[in-house]
Amino acid sequence: METNYETIVIGGGVVGSGIAYHLSERYKEGVLVLDKKYPMSGTSGSTQAWVWVHNKTPSWYAEFSMYSAELYPYLSKKIGDVEYKRTGGLSPFFNESDREKAQKLAESYRKIGIKIKVLSREEVLEKEPYMNPEVAGATYSSIDGNVNPFRLIDMYMRAAKRNGVRYSTYNRVTEIRQVNGKYLVVSDKGAFECKNLILAGGTWSREIGDMLGVKIPVNQLRGQILVSEPLKPFLNFTISGLRQANNGEVLMGYSMEEAGFNRATTLDVIQETANMAVRYVPGLRKAKIVRAFSGIRAMPEDGFPILGNVPGYENLYVAATHSGVTLSPLIGTLITELIMDGETSIPIDRYSLSRFG
Amino acid sequence: MKTDVLIIGGGPAGLSAAIETASRGLDVTIVDEASQLGGQLNQQTQVLRPLPSVYEPMRGFELANKLIEQIKGFNVRLLLNHRVVGFYADGSAGITDEENVFPVKAKKIIVASGAAEKAVAFPKWTMPGIMTIGAAQTLINRDFVMPGKEAVIVGSSDFAMETAIQLMDVGIRVKAIIEKQSGALAKEQEKASELSKNGIPFYFNSFIKEARGNGQVEQIDIELPDEVITLSVDLVCMDGGRAPILDVFYQLGCSFGFQEELGGWVPQYNHTLQTGREDVYLAGNAAGISTQGPLLLTGMIAGISVSEELQAISPAEANEMREALWKELGLLEDKEVYSGRIKHLENFTSPLLKDQFIS
Ligand SMILES: Cc1cc2nc3c(=O)[nH]c(=O)nc-3n(C[C@H](O)[C@H](O)[C@H](O)COP(=O)(O)OP(=O)(O)OC[C@H]3O[C@@H](n4cnc5c(N)ncnc54)[C@H](O)[C@@H]3O)c2cc1C
Repeated sequence: METNYETIVIGGGVVGSGIAYHLSERYKEGVLVLDKKYPMSGTSGSTQAWVWVHNKTPSWYAEFSMYSAELYPYLSKKIGDVEYKRTGGLSPFFNESDREKAQKLAESYRKIGIKIKVLSREEVLEKEPYMNPEVAGATYSSIDGNVNPFRLIDMYMRAAKRNGVRYSTYNRVTEIRQVNGKYLVVSDKGAFECKNLILAGGTWSREIGDMLGVKIPVNQLRGQILVSEPLKPFLNFTISGLRQANNGEVLMGYSMEEAGFNRATTLDVIQETANMAVRYVPGLRKAKIVRAFSGIRAMPEDGFPILGNVPGYENLYVAATHSGVTLSPLIGTLITELIMDGETSIPIDRYSLSRFG
Repeated sequence: MKTDVLIIGGGPAGLSAAIETASRGLDVTIVDEASQLGGQLNQQTQVLRPLPSVYEPMRGFELANKLIEQIKGFNVRLLLNHRVVGFYADGSAGITDEENVFPVKAKKIIVASGAAEKAVAFPKWTMPGIMTIGAAQTLINRDFVMPGKEAVIVGSSDFAMETAIQLMDVGIRVKAIIEKQSGALAKEQEKASELSKNGIPFYFNSFIKEARGNGQVEQIDIELPDEVITLSVDLVCMDGGRAPILDVFYQLGCSFGFQEELGGWVPQYNHTLQTGREDVYLAGNAAGISTQGPLLLTGMIAGISVSEELQAISPAEANEMREALWKELGLLEDKEVYSGRIKHLENFTSPLLKDQFIS
């Protein structure tokens, strides 16, 4: 295998593969993606995969997410059907007292051009008839949706490879050195040299950063998800808490626990999750659960994406974020612009690693 | 609910582990998804031999009755028709009665979850009427249901030969034995020759090319070395061997190794039958595929080790008994399986898979 590359991406998850693909649109050669396992083995293979904008706070972060969501329909045209559905998103609340909070959120979003409606109980039930009739209301936005993460990454990879990107999988990066103004990336299957190096190791970013003495403050946050048997299509929206996939399976869960890299599922959380799901959609009580899985979120210390140049290093870039599925087309576009043009069409200073000091 | 020892699986290995622990005064709970203790023994009408020296040779269901009789005198809580569906963060097992899930906190867990049969895939192998040999045996011997009238058997292990004979005994016409290898795999020659004597053809170097039928199997094409023949059948029994059932070990975060002779991926364990997790032991087919005699011995070893850990028996006594049982295991068990087991023990500290999750 060629050992000299213009650009190496460490990590082939939805973030790394998204970057590799977008780079390959403008730059046909010399990109290598390294992954210690396989591109779907990390967080990107264990996710709810909502493309989610609404009720993200503060509103500038919602705006950033919205730009990404807007890229999705084009992405499907370029790389193929990734089962992206702009279903609209519903965030139900069960206490009338929450309505005021919802209204405030809607207002702050209006200022930046994201339309959120606060729905009455009747409106919620009209949109989503299987929702618990005890619901008090919901916030609703039309831009939210979801995607099939497996198809997404697979399509990214296929398109990237068609454009000349090389993938080397089951190949862990163990060491990174700077040699003569270039980066020497030592991996299980040999050493590679490159000019541009992109760190997209998701929840392992901290360790990868350590190889260069760069502190990337990304922590682990476990989430457990339940999957139902395939049911008839009956949920219309992406509901904050659950969604129905194309094949009829309902994915439920939005738990968060600190458990390091431990990817076990536990009955405590499974039972809580099931209770949450049944509270939202009582009919799910009759559904059979076929599987539970957990994923480890890559959670930057302050919760916001870490994107862009690594301060003090030339040609070194980092992309580590939660909500990577939502943000992947935008991150791919922006990092490509940064490398090819030296500047981005949307400012990303706010997301710089330098904010951690 | 609290218990000293939670035994997952009430087959021969689980029962013998229960006898060893409960007879020493420990509080023991057996959980099994079946409505009856005894596991696979219940449909085994053949005489089992060799059994450990404390048992006379007897038929499978007789052995089941005997073991069940033995635990009756002790303090054993039975959770039949119950399943372990997962574990809580504090390590309690989550057990369901299919209505509710409740936690059971055990000082030690012995997993004796047995084995699952492997299928043999060929085009349309999922059609009704096509099943594993164990399923066919269960239907005729336990449920008293005829799975078909005209059958072929895919495979020629001892178990396949035994099942072929049992099918014949209840009036099912066995039309052929199909074996991919160039000769019968059964170690007990008499069974194969009994089938031959009954005029049942053995097709060696052969396999099923395709099954056909409308809603259920009606015909199969068999690829012989130099031609393809078609048989009409309504039953295909396939013997793809067996593999340990691993789900619970995965959930418990045990480590694994690959040992062909033991049935493939097997939780790693040491000579006390303790897994990579200190409080978890294993026994029976879950510790590697074997025959009934050795399965009982592994149950006894696990039971004695747990009794020792819970101070119901002295270490010296436990050691002595364990040693004797290992010796007997070496004598009783098929040589290849036993040497696979020893290799497996040696890998205890260097498992192939420490973390089954791909993180
Ligand atoms: C339960 C759950 C629900 C979620 N729901 C959503 C959602 O609805 N919407 C949304 O947008 N996001 C969601 N997320 C988050 C989203 O899944 C992640 O942000 C996204 O998958 C991160 O992608 P990534 O490419 O950064 O990470 P990963 O997919 O983990 O990719 C990182 C890759 O780097 C590789 N790697 C690591 N170290 C090395 C090394 N030393 N050498 C070589 N390769 C290495 C890994 O093998 C891995 O493949 C959810 C996450 C979880 C856990």
